Amino acid sequence: MLRKEVNELLTQTDVGTPMGEMFRQYWIPALLASELPEDDCPPVRVKLLGERLIAFRDSKGRYGLMDEFCAHRGVSLWFGRNEEDGLRCPYHGWKYDYTGQCIEVPSEPEESGFCAKIKLKGYPLIKIGDVLWTHMGEKESRPPEPTWEFATVPPEQTFTSKRWQESNWLQAMEGGIDSSHVSFLHSGSLKTDPLFRGAKGNKYNQADKKPVFEVTEHDGGLYIGARRMAEEGHYYWRITPWVMPSFTMVPPRGDHPMHGHFWIPIDDENCWAWSFDYHPVRALTPEERQAMIDGYGVHNQYEAPGSFRPRQNKDNDYLMDREAQKRGETYSGVWGIAMQDASLQESMGPIVDRTKENLVSTDNGIIMARHRLRKAAVALRDKGTPPPGRSPEHQMVRSAARVLPPDEPFAEAMKEDLKVRPGEKQTSV
Amino acid sequence: MLETTRPTLLSSCAKAATAAEARFRVDYPNSRARASRIFALDAGAAEAMYAITEDPWNGAHFLTVGGTGVVDPDATSADDLPLIGPDGAAIRLSQEIDGADVVILLASTDRQIGAAEVIAREAYMRKIMIAGLALSNGLSGSATDRVVAALRPFASVLVVASDNDFIPAMLTALRA
Repeated sequence: MLRKEVNELLTQTDVGTPMGEMFRQYWIPALLASELPEDDCPPVRVKLLGERLIAFRDSKGRYGLMDEFCAHRGVSLWFGRNEEDGLRCPYHGWKYDYTGQCIEVPSEPEESGFCAKIKLKGYPLIKIGDVLWTHMGEKESRPPEPTWEFATVPPEQTFTSKRWQESNWLQAMEGGIDSSHVSFLHSGSLKTDPLFRGAKGNKYNQADKKPVFEVTEHDGGLYIGARRMAEEGHYYWRITPWVMPSFTMVPPRGDHPMHGHFWIPIDDENCWAWSFDYHPVRALTPEERQAMIDGYGVHNQYEAPGSFRPRQNKDNDYLMDREAQKRGETYSGVWGIAMQDASLQESMGPIVDRTKENLVSTDNGIIMARHRLRKAAVALRDKGTPPPGRSPEHQMVRSAARVLPPDEPFAEAMKEDLKVRPGEKQTSV
Repeated sequence: MLETTRPTLLSSCAKAATAAEARFRVDYPNSRARASRIFALDAGAAEAMYAITEDPWNGAHFLTVGGTGVVDPDATSADDLPLIGPDGAAIRLSQEIDGADVVILLASTDRQIGAAEVIAREAYMRKIMIAGLALSNGLSGSATDRVVAALRPFASVLVVASDNDFIPAMLTALRA
């Protein structure tokens, strides 16, 4: 249970809100690089943290992210002409560079310098890996550029997708740190999904539906350990790292690629679910990459080419298949791991009313994550303290899975497994 | 998979999952008060716990393992455990644990592992869930590891918290 005012504090991310200001302390994923594939390509509408923006790539390959609307009469620059180092409003020809600075107002004498007085709010947009990242806070508070492993391994080793989720970011993110649902909701997919099946660890998952949890803090967030019985009294541990505010990784299975998510608010009732797969030491196989494109693993299929709305969505009841449910192919009747999660999280309503929930002890990962988010947001608001999760050290994390003797604490025994070790394979079962 | 379009019915997700429909959710309580029993196993845990016992809780009972000696679990029956309530009165473990829904063990050292075992034994017999909270504020890494190791055999959920503010946050979340 969460009090109403705390729920509002954690779920509201518009400019000026405590959590909104906190998100503005980080580099966050804004677009897939493939959305702006070449110089002078069409601009793209982007909504992040409740702000309507336009992204474009100018004639010199520079990325811009700025207020969507022309300063003159409020026309959307989605209609703009992307030409000769700037985006020109088609209404009266006002032109903006990649920073949002107006560089031409055709109706005014050039000598008047009028255009220098016009500037749209703009944010930096940088390409790291398959992703264009932005920082929507003040320049003075800009953290070092992102160093997440999925975004920094060679391109042939990584794959990133995103999907529009019609719910608040927090209920989506909380699904990412809720390890206990895997044995139920995703039980069918563990047997069939090409990016999950075949791992030895799966049988531990399926045999022990009552995992025991240990939650420990690290400087950037949490490690959520789920422990299940293995052979000879040993424990099978799956460790999910959470880095503030909204990065999670799924513990790996066998030699399958590792995967994880970012949950980024679009506005208070919608978010981007970013999903990535990568292998730390080898290229993804053509079969693996195709499976990701086809919507397996943590990815999904789309409603239409170019759309980021899932093919299974609330307008078609997520293609609920009660017969497949009866046959045991899926636990909930919804196909695919990503949409199994999204369908349930969207069913909670756009912003779940946490005053009505009844959490139990196994929800302590979620309870601790909320606690840390609230504390960090309040510390930023009241004291200007930068939140955790911004530094490269906090971002150099991995998920891991391992069988350990019963008396070994995972936090100590798996300390190195949970760090990025360039050139070294993930720790997996 | 099946066809991608379906008619929108009154019970369809398209209608049901909207903000507009959220206001029609049944507005009656969906749970009854839980019987939560919170045990501070040592002086450090007791100090952290008693900082919040005056807050309005939903019937949570706050108890401390008293006495000066270390509890030997093999020689200590449930009602021999030296438990005291917030007012300093002696409390019988069997009375407290009968009918409890959840037991929460708070520890800042591994000293009273024996007391944890006595409480856990009684909870286990009654099939009551146990959560352990290791308070690591001010402890070294190895001291924290010892607290975690002491609680691990008994707790279905174990949390290591670096600040004592997590205690009320957790108890509120659990409707204690």
